[in-house]
Amino acid sequence: MNTPESARGGFCFENAIRNSVLSANGYKAPTARKTGTTIAGVVFEGGVVLGADTRATSGATVFEKNCQKIHYIADNIMCCGAGTAADTEHTTQLIASKIWLHALATRRKPRVATALSMLKHMLFRYQGYVSAALVLGGVDFHGPHLYTVYPHGSTDRLPYVSMGSGSLAAMAVFEANYKDGLTLEDAKQLVYEGISGGIFNDLGSGGNVDLCIITADGQELIRGYAKENERKYRRPGGYKFPSGTTPVVPGSEKFKEQSKDFALVTEQDGMDVSA
Amino acid sequence: MGESDYSFSLTTFSPSGRLVQIEYALNAVTAGATALGIKAGNGIVLATEKRLPSPLMAFDSIQKVSMITKSIGIVYAGMGPDSRVLIKKARKAAQSYYQVYNESIPVGQLVREVASVMQEFTQSGGVRPFGVSLLVAGFDDEGPQLCQIDPSGSYYAWKASAIGKNMVNAKTFLEKRYSDDIELEDAIHTAILTLKEGFEGQVTENNIEIGVIGEDKLFKTLTPAETKDYLTELE
Amino acid sequence: MSILEYNGGCVLAMAGKECVAIASDKRLGVQLTTVAMDANRIFRMHDKLYLGLTGLMTDIQTLDQLFRFKLELYAMRENRLMKPKTFASLVSSTLYSKRFAPYFSEPVIAGLDKDNKPYICSMDLLGCVAEETEFVVAGTCAESLFGTCETFYKKDLEPDELFETVSQALLAALDRDCISGWGAVVHIITKDGVQTKELDGRMD
Repeated sequence: MNTPESARGGFCFENAIRNSVLSANGYKAPTARKTGTTIAGVVFEGGVVLGADTRATSGATVFEKNCQKIHYIADNIMCCGAGTAADTEHTTQLIASKIWLHALATRRKPRVATALSMLKHMLFRYQGYVSAALVLGGVDFHGPHLYTVYPHGSTDRLPYVSMGSGSLAAMAVFEANYKDGLTLEDAKQLVYEGISGGIFNDLGSGGNVDLCIITADGQELIRGYAKENERKYRRPGGYKFPSGTTPVVPGSEKFKEQSKDFALVTEQDGMDVSA
Repeated sequence: MGESDYSFSLTTFSPSGRLVQIEYALNAVTAGATALGIKAGNGIVLATEKRLPSPLMAFDSIQKVSMITKSIGIVYAGMGPDSRVLIKKARKAAQSYYQVYNESIPVGQLVREVASVMQEFTQSGGVRPFGVSLLVAGFDDEGPQLCQIDPSGSYYAWKASAIGKNMVNAKTFLEKRYSDDIELEDAIHTAILTLKEGFEGQVTENNIEIGVIGEDKLFKTLTPAETKDYLTELE
Repeated sequence: MSILEYNGGCVLAMAGKECVAIASDKRLGVQLTTVAMDANRIFRMHDKLYLGLTGLMTDIQTLDQLFRFKLELYAMRENRLMKPKTFASLVSSTLYSKRFAPYFSEPVIAGLDKDNKPYICSMDLLGCVAEETEFVVAGTCAESLFGTCETFYKKDLEPDELFETVSQALLAALDRDCISGWGAVVHIITKDGVQTKELDGRMD
């Protein structure tokens, strides 16, 4: 597309010099939002179950209590993301796009291994600077598949996997309870227990448990499969501030009516920076 | 493309102000198998003849109706290889739109995008115009839409249109048959009947191809079995 | 000091019933020195869509210009106004395209969609969207704002109540932030129009 807002592909380094000068002068670059995360997946007979917590953090502050970490790749492939939130979000979106084009060009249902190759090639090319740690799962022509992808581009193929800061908690649960040939219900329970392990034992993980079940018949995303950290305390009736509580600068009130018809609003009420 | 000093546009004005290369490209379109589209109140249908040069050819290896996004499809008349280039560009344009806005590309934007590629090939150095016309069917916020794009890069919205061999007869047929309150099922029947009009030999599920978008806003190409059902309904 | 805190400032948006509020402080500082008290970090994109930007003021102003440019081209090309959710995706992809050399700004988007349903979201500087149904915050006193909003927020507030709630949440948070404050501005976007009021805040 030849519109200015379309991505030309690849990243833009327009601000790189300015930013490095700033950081050389002691203004260090801020940190991006992370998904200190527990994500996991288990293969059962006939499909895979993926799971994730729903907390996004910035430092030690919870920035989002119910974010979605299970991303869409194709109707039969989903991908859980841990690491820098923007990276997991945009990397999976990019691969979803590529998979769609590939499926149309080859006239085949996308395969999980294809998504895996695309992801690992991309992450390897960026040498780990795109910090996305992923759990990729899906069902295709060859049956159910479950992979992990590390930020540097290495991958694993296993019957049960976990990723993110809560991966140890989740893996402890899996190591203790995983058996081959799980049923769907057992697999859901196991993933739920694994994610819960992360939510309650890893401070970077929290919120609800999301699950995604993928079988040959399709996929089902269950947002809030378990909500064990709902807010339990709220002042009855809430706080009431009667009209006029807040002192308003006299004469500052303005009301702008909505335009009746299609109108492009260009008039600017920005800060006056003229001398 | 067209970088060298000697590369100039092959499409140049004739003294009378015509671009004969574009007219020749339209001739290539008219030589191609008939394709048509009908917009109904609740959907759109695209249909085309799928002529096999030899009975030895595998009919299921040919695909003339292509999906671009989940709710946009394209059919062409003219040169198959040329159409593939445009289909590929259309799909890419749709995806890059989606990547920016997280929203499916509106039909009008996709049409403009593809048309501008076709226009570029009437003016750039070292290239020739595309020997295809396209019918784009899509269902977006504005409802069902049908657009035609020609080798010159001009595009128009239609209620029903036909391109390729027999297009004049087919359009006359459609003009007679079309009504503004036509339903999708009727439109599919009309599409098949229109194809039958100029068809050499017997229409079967293997020598026509039909693409449909219904109220679910999902584009799909009918399988030979589904096409056969419609053909039997018409008998 | 992080570059996001160089100029100070914060933005808050809260959803009400068929209305949405977006508010910010008015200070522009250079570290601990206040240089202006009429800074603007909330920008009208169209009648029902406002963009708040926190962080480095030079980037705030650049981004405002950039997004207005993109929005106007979009409006001319597609002959329609952009939906708030679509705008959020545009902001997100724009910021992410500079993943390795980012603008130092964290945006907040507030708007009404075509059924006048409130839409609010915030983003980090790389364009990771956090869509919420209640409230979103950004800036130097984000943590304090989280606290006040968590306490004061009520579902389905009418425009007048929403104004008081947002103002109280903002002023309370500003009281504990040295580099934000010096007055504040609140916009309440409703289906009839946009009500703008300036608040009398502490000046120290």
